Amino acid sequence: MANYFLFLYDNPANWVTLSPEEMQKALEKYIAWGEKATNGGYLRGTHRLAEDVGKVVRGTKVTDGPYSETKEILGGYYLIAADNYDHAVQRTLDHPHLEYGGTIEVRRVHAMHDQE
Amino acid sequence: MDGTGIQPAAAAEVGGSVEHLFRHESGRIISYLARLLGPEHMDLAEEVVQEALLKALQSWSYSGIPSNPAAWLLQVARNSALDAIRHRKVLVDKEPALIADITAASRPLPAHDNALEASLRDDELRMIFMCCHPALSPDASVALSLKAIGGFGVREIASAFLADEATIAQRLVRAKRQIREKALSLELPSGFDLKRRLDSVLDVLYLMFNEGYDAHQGEELIRQDLCFEALRLARLVAESSLGSPRVHALVALIALQTARLPARTDSVGNLVLLGQQDRSRWDQHLIAIGFHYFERAIAGTEVSPFHVEAAIAATHTRAPSLAETDWKPVLALYDQLMQLKPSPVVALNRSVAVARVHGPQAALAELDQLENEPALRNYYLLPAVRGQFLAELHRSEAAIVAYRRALELSCNAPERRFLQRRIDQLTQTDRNAPGALRR
Repeated sequence: MANYFLFLYDNPANWVTLSPEEMQKALEKYIAWGEKATNGGYLRGTHRLAEDVGKVVRGTKVTDGPYSETKEILGGYYLIAADNYDHAVQRTLDHPHLEYGGTIEVRRVHAMHDQE
Repeated sequence: MDGTGIQPAAAAEVGGSVEHLFRHESGRIISYLARLLGPEHMDLAEEVVQEALLKALQSWSYSGIPSNPAAWLLQVARNSALDAIRHRKVLVDKEPALIADITAASRPLPAHDNALEASLRDDELRMIFMCCHPALSPDASVALSLKAIGGFGVREIASAFLADEATIAQRLVRAKRQIREKALSLELPSGFDLKRRLDSVLDVLYLMFNEGYDAHQGEELIRQDLCFEALRLARLVAESSLGSPRVHALVALIALQTARLPARTDSVGNLVLLGQQDRSRWDQHLIAIGFHYFERAIAGTEVSPFHVEAAIAATHTRAPSLAETDWKPVLALYDQLMQLKPSPVVALNRSVAVARVHGPQAALAELDQLENEPALRNYYLLPAVRGQFLAELHRSEAAIVAYRRALELSCNAPERRFLQRRIDQLTQTDRNAPGALRR
């Protein structure tokens, strides 16, 4: 078992045409996925990121985050346990974010016993 | 709640999410903001609510639903409204007063604030009366009520009306423009004006219900939602200071009819007529609501068409089966309805009661009188009912002709399948009749 980060990128334009009922249905699907991952014992953590663009620090130079120009913004993450990448991807495939046009980046967390 | 102790049907919950929460809160917050910002800024109110819902979706999907989601949404919408006022300078003349009002209201909210609840209910009531103002066309009123108070999306309204989205969107734009041009206000009517305004509200809610219940087009699920929304809004009026026996009768009528919806289609989506319906699938909770309001409706001396229609629905609901229905009072009620609100559709429904009391032959004679009604010319139920009476008289061939005529008119897929099934059954009976050689 290793830990994998799932980074969820949003495209706000995907949501503008949804009715309140459709938004609630979407919310329920997201929550149901989280409950499934929790009940399955493989959800290690999750956070929603604040909606601001954030800051980028280079050397001593601080600028506003890189997101304002791009369509997709990093909206939040999950940390899940999985045997390998295939397994992690399989656990990601039924996430409703994909159904609603979002992108999920799956990244394995480096472990101390990892061999190069 | 409304003090009756009758709660809405048990909500299906996912992770603490209350059924239709977004839809209902959207309507409440739009109504609240429309009062603060003025009805001419309804678009801004809608925009701000949409933003609040999106924020909720984005953050609750990770963290779960907060303990008081309604207060959360209201707070976020208020802040967005405040932002819009400050940064976009949309309301230059009213700005200082508005900022003061919204800021004063922006304290953290307790989990249950009865005064706030009452105030939001009052805002919704005002919004109902404005959206159903007699200066607007009934169609526009239904669409606007569904959008602004019901929280329905344009696509959902369009699918309920089987109209395209652009048509509905245009209808909404026009209605809002009329509100601005005619300077319709959110003040509740009183005195002389009250009856006219209340009549207009009840007519619109009745139309909304009928769009859901009767429309022979559109998606089944969204049509049920229309019935429930008409019920919710009618109850809101009934429980307000403007409630009257007539309003209670409308609530009773909607609740008793809507209670039968679950039994109206079978597991594969086929239409099931009243006589064949599994009455155990009628919604007992809605029936309880219906009878509760029916009792209140008949407490006074007033008799409105809603009273009579509710009484007809109540008679059907009380009967253990269609065969055991007491049809004489039903026919008497239809006679009364024809006096209060004569219409070809009422006459058509009455003919069914005539058939049960005086036989199908007498009922056919009633139908003959409706044959040239322009309002029924393209109504599939007229030939369908004729087919039913003819079949009861064992005039299979004529019945098949009538059902085929019904099939040529506009009706939805379950209704088409129903008519086709009747034709098939009659064809079958014909073949099995003595003298028929073919199988």
